[in-house]
Amino acid sequence: MKDKPEILAFLCNWCSYAGADLAGTSRISYPANVRSVRVMCSGRVEPSFILNAFMNGIDGVLVSGCHPNDCHYISGNLKAEKNVKNTKKILQLLGLGPERLRLEWVSASEGQIFANVITDFTAKLKKMGPNPLEKKHDLKETSVNRESISEVIENTNIRLCLECGKCSSSCPITRMNPAFSPRMTVKRILNGAEVSVYDPGIWACLTCGLCQERCPSDVHYVDFVRACREKARLMGATEPCAHKDMLLDLQRIMANPKINQKRLGWLPKEAAVSETGDILYFVGCLPYFDVIFNDIKANSIETAKSVVKIMNKVGIEPVLLRNERCCGHDLYFTGDTENFEKLARMNVDAIKQAKVKEVVTSCAECYRTMKLDYPKIVGDLGFEVIHVSEFLANIIEKEQLEFPEVFKDKKVVYHDPCRLGRHMGVYDAPRSVIKNIPETDLLEMERNRENSLCCGVNSWLNCGKVSKQIQLDRLTEAKATGAEWLITACPKCQIHLKCAMNGELPVKRSKIDVKLYDLPVLVEKALDRKRSRSK
Amino acid sequence: MEEQKNEEKVTEAQKRQTEPEELRIGVYVCHCGKNIAGSVDCEEVSKYASTLPHVVLSKHNLYSCSDPGQESMKKDIIENKLNRVVVASCTPRLHEPTFRRMCEEAGLNKYLFEMANIREHCSWVHLYEPEKATEKAKDLVEMAVAKVALLKPQKEAVVPVTRKALVIGGGVAGIQAALDLGDTGYQVYLVEKSPSIGGRMAQIDKTFPTMDCSICILAPKMSDAGRHPKIELLANSEVLEVSGYIGNFKVKVKKKPRYIKKECTACGDCVEVCPVEVPNEFEEGLTYRKAIYIPFAQAVPALYLIDEKSCLGIGDNTCAKCKEVCGPDAIDFTAKEEIVEIDVGTIIVATGVDVFDPAALTEYGYMKYPNVITSMEFERIINAGGPTGGHLTRPSDMKLPKNVAFIQCIGSRSLSDKKGHTYCSNVCCMNTIKDCLLIKEHWPDIKLYVFYMDIRAFGKGFEDLYKRAKQAGVVFIRGLPGEVTENKGNHNLILVGEDLTSNKFYKMETEMLVLSVGIEPRADSSVIQRLLTLSKTSDGFFMEAHPKLRPVDTPTGGVFLAGCAEGPKDIKDSVTQASAAAGRAGILMAKGSVTVEAITSMVDIDKCVGCGLCTKVCPYNAITVDKETKKAVVVEAACAGCGTCGAECPFGAIQMRHFTDEQINKQIDAATRENADKKIVAFCCNWCSYAGADFAGVSRMQHPPNARIIRTMCSGRVATKFVERAFRNGAAAVLVAGCHLNDCHYINANYQTKKRVEKLWSKLDKLGIDKNRLQLAWISAAEGEKFASKIKEMEKIVEGVTKVEIEKTVVALAPKKVKKED
Repeated sequence: MKDKPEILAFLCNWCSYAGADLAGTSRISYPANVRSVRVMCSGRVEPSFILNAFMNGIDGVLVSGCHPNDCHYISGNLKAEKNVKNTKKILQLLGLGPERLRLEWVSASEGQIFANVITDFTAKLKKMGPNPLEKKHDLKETSVNRESISEVIENTNIRLCLECGKCSSSCPITRMNPAFSPRMTVKRILNGAEVSVYDPGIWACLTCGLCQERCPSDVHYVDFVRACREKARLMGATEPCAHKDMLLDLQRIMANPKINQKRLGWLPKEAAVSETGDILYFVGCLPYFDVIFNDIKANSIETAKSVVKIMNKVGIEPVLLRNERCCGHDLYFTGDTENFEKLARMNVDAIKQAKVKEVVTSCAECYRTMKLDYPKIVGDLGFEVIHVSEFLANIIEKEQLEFPEVFKDKKVVYHDPCRLGRHMGVYDAPRSVIKNIPETDLLEMERNRENSLCCGVNSWLNCGKVSKQIQLDRLTEAKATGAEWLITACPKCQIHLKCAMNGELPVKRSKIDVKLYDLPVLVEKALDRKRSRSK
Repeated sequence: MEEQKNEEKVTEAQKRQTEPEELRIGVYVCHCGKNIAGSVDCEEVSKYASTLPHVVLSKHNLYSCSDPGQESMKKDIIENKLNRVVVASCTPRLHEPTFRRMCEEAGLNKYLFEMANIREHCSWVHLYEPEKATEKAKDLVEMAVAKVALLKPQKEAVVPVTRKALVIGGGVAGIQAALDLGDTGYQVYLVEKSPSIGGRMAQIDKTFPTMDCSICILAPKMSDAGRHPKIELLANSEVLEVSGYIGNFKVKVKKKPRYIKKECTACGDCVEVCPVEVPNEFEEGLTYRKAIYIPFAQAVPALYLIDEKSCLGIGDNTCAKCKEVCGPDAIDFTAKEEIVEIDVGTIIVATGVDVFDPAALTEYGYMKYPNVITSMEFERIINAGGPTGGHLTRPSDMKLPKNVAFIQCIGSRSLSDKKGHTYCSNVCCMNTIKDCLLIKEHWPDIKLYVFYMDIRAFGKGFEDLYKRAKQAGVVFIRGLPGEVTENKGNHNLILVGEDLTSNKFYKMETEMLVLSVGIEPRADSSVIQRLLTLSKTSDGFFMEAHPKLRPVDTPTGGVFLAGCAEGPKDIKDSVTQASAAAGRAGILMAKGSVTVEAITSMVDIDKCVGCGLCTKVCPYNAITVDKETKKAVVVEAACAGCGTCGAECPFGAIQMRHFTDEQINKQIDAATRENADKKIVAFCCNWCSYAGADFAGVSRMQHPPNARIIRTMCSGRVATKFVERAFRNGAAAVLVAGCHLNDCHYINANYQTKKRVEKLWSKLDKLGIDKNRLQLAWISAAEGEKFASKIKEMEKIVEGVTKVEIEKTVVALAPKKVKKED
């Protein structure tokens, strides 16, 4: 039985670790429930390390570095400060309590201070109580065998592959990296070759569905890849996740029933929401994205605020779940079905309890997951799931929204998200919404509708050179239409495209600098009479 | 002297059969060498048969079907004055005609004969259980004897066949069929929907593999058909209604008005002045025609016509520019359609195909990029009579392209619904090879690329043509492009794909792209389908009666198929099939009459109340309720003998000859007389499940000997009361087996079977009877394995049924009222 509370302390080599050493040399006592991890600089400590610690049951995390202006690496400690600030916000949202994470400046001479910090932290943690999460035990390990793959092969029409090559020549990843090929992945698996559980054929895929859209043999490639990932995980593979698994671990934390989130803080004071009603707004991970991606100014939470504002405008007070959990799309698509099922059941139970008729979501992935994948787990949902673009198209058709003349001949272009477009067949609703906003000129990219190019990243996997190329390609295409604004209908697309525009670019900024707007934000802007007056 | 004696004997024999008299049944149990005798004790079965009622003679012989075997049986029939014969041997599907003929030769009506299948259904499948096999054989003989006792002599109706034929569709297949029939001397009506005959072949430039000019070889045939003394050409006409039956069809044809009188001299002045321009269908929309036009230069009939949809002079409109300049005053805006009624004996369906529209494959940019065209459009471009005078020009700038790419399998071999059809369209590979050679012939410097999945060059001379194309320098690349984009500057197309033989990706710019589109059934083929009660196979083409042995017949008597209406094929195969169809139709018309097998239905007008239930289920519309007598009337020649009407009739007022209720009931009784609690009564349809059981026999697939098969022509014959009777007699289980849904030999009668069995299940449930004891199976003639498995599966059910359950069933199904039931 470990000594509660468990504290994990990240100590920077030059100052804080030395300070702890001094406490030792000076024989200063402090509680024995702290475990130290030495890092060269406190700036090394990423939010993913901290979240991982909490996910595995640690009660408190201490990040300690040199005093500001004294950092051995000039400004590493300032980065640590920012990281801790953001992670605190996440812990706040998760309901774990930001006080479980502590940032301290301890110099090499401050041995007593170090001991005091530990003593104080321990006392405070004792009062807070233990971390509701517990260390997860190992994943089931099964032996590697092809039979487990064979069911997947039969159900997804893989055998019918005619080897025509349309998939590989359509695939955006193959375009950037010819070593990857959907066709060759299928061929290798069908021919019984030894396929490593880390095979890029399985993990590099964007699951965008462009290949299966064009395949004459009706191969369900997306399902195939997802199922392979599931099998690979059971055989011990872990996904090659960007952000060091932070986003996926966040979802795994939310899958724990003991988590009690505090996630409605973003609601503006004047917003009207209700405990009961016909319509529920499923916010998704927007509050978390807002924190995690604020350095690229993703402003994800603006989408949620806009949706609620628009709903209020047409007289709807949406139900918002207090403890809404991630829909689990990313866990589903990285093969972590165990945790996905937990999330699915908890979300559906909570929604059913709210007795709503319709669930509106502003994320294309939540839409697909709830509408298509949840019924596979829970059967008949008992409520309708619609995407915010369909909701908006509906109320616009019923003439419930009045648009003042806000935009003068604004050229905009719409990007079809994979999950909304190819996966679920919704192409027209977002377009009809945009067209109904006065004075917008909706342009189309060459690769639109079912030929739309993916935003470059699937479930936070692999984000690297290839993803960046795809994103820049897409932004160039958007800008080349002559549009000023690029409209998205999925917060993930927003984040990935914005991220590509951030920082140094291998192309001239003028070639890609379209302004990104999420659809609900665009609509809300268009309703703002104040703007028209100021113009 | 001897002959006269035999003749007398024969007449006597015939008298014996028709007058009610003493039944004298002869039973022959065949050894079939060791095939039956190896597991069945034929002598014992023969002895048993002699104890059955009315059996006066029971023998066992070595090879009944052999000449000596048949001679000996014939002698017996005559000498012993037999008036009913049972042969227990192989499947009736093999030798019923043989033995029937033998009976006829002995003076016995051939319908007074029945077979017991103790080989395919018994000795071959119970090789290791000789006692049980012998018991089963005894039962099967008893069932046959019970039925034969009730059989009545039948006369086969002879229906005259009108010696005239209707050919629907004036493409090369229709033309060929019409010519063949006309040359034989029959009157032929050739009905063509469009203003001219010629079809797709008239549009094509050259044909493979000979590189003949298509219209050059077709036009003489068109012209022959046009002026053939025996062919009445009804172009610009549609078939409205078809009634009747084999040999006696009444057809209504609508002749659409041309608005041009016969005074027309084809001077063409009207065309000059007409203000309306619409896309030219013959030219695949590549150029215009006027509202007044002639379809193409070689049209047959060579008549102008006005397209009423686009003309501004017909109806309320007032344009009359053409009329003003028409010298012979041949234009008549007031012309009306004409309905013609014709009587024909046979019909040939040659309605042809449409070409797949590749707009659905958005990745290829058809209709988005001007230089992407279909192979059919290419035909018109390269044709000297086409809109470019035969010059290969690309649509965007009318210049000769330096390179042309072809993409194969557009709309074919596609399992995904949205992208086309699942089948291979047969002609596109060769068509592209031909196109390439055409281009190389005129412009050897143009670079050609063909992107394919497979090259299908299967016919005579095809492989040679393929070789020639390769030698001419055409580059064949295995691997279809994933997408096509356009170079906005010069409208060139950029293809990105994977070369599968080298596993390398290519990005190629080409000046022109031809999509090698597949062919699909005509959009309006369902109209013809309904008119003639035809079936379609899953690919949408019309279904042939048997894919191997009757490729141009349809299940509907007197209706034949020719050309692409039956499936994608090239000109040679279309012409071959057309001649075949003409031959088949010719057989009927040459004979001048057709005998209808006497298994048709007959109405007992005393019992009939005119409710019309039978008319609703007949797949051939062969029954109507007479408006005056209010009784059902069966057109025998149209009746195919499925028996669904008999099963549906709640009053027993319609009976199937040779498969009457009484006969089937007696078979059920015979099967369940002893040890019913260990038996399965299996109703199998003649065409599929009985044949499936035969196949199990031929393949020696062993299964438990507990099934007693009763043959009906169609599973639709199996009435609810038969199943109930079997259960009431104490049977452990009942199997109703038929063709797979959509494969029914009688088009859709098995859907009635399905409905009936489902209702029965509910009834059994309500009565507290285990509904698993009634099984429904769709077993095709090729599914011997499935039949054997089914029997094995049902054996478990039989073993699990207790005597108590059976008693309960008997009580529950006891007739409520004492109704006179047979």
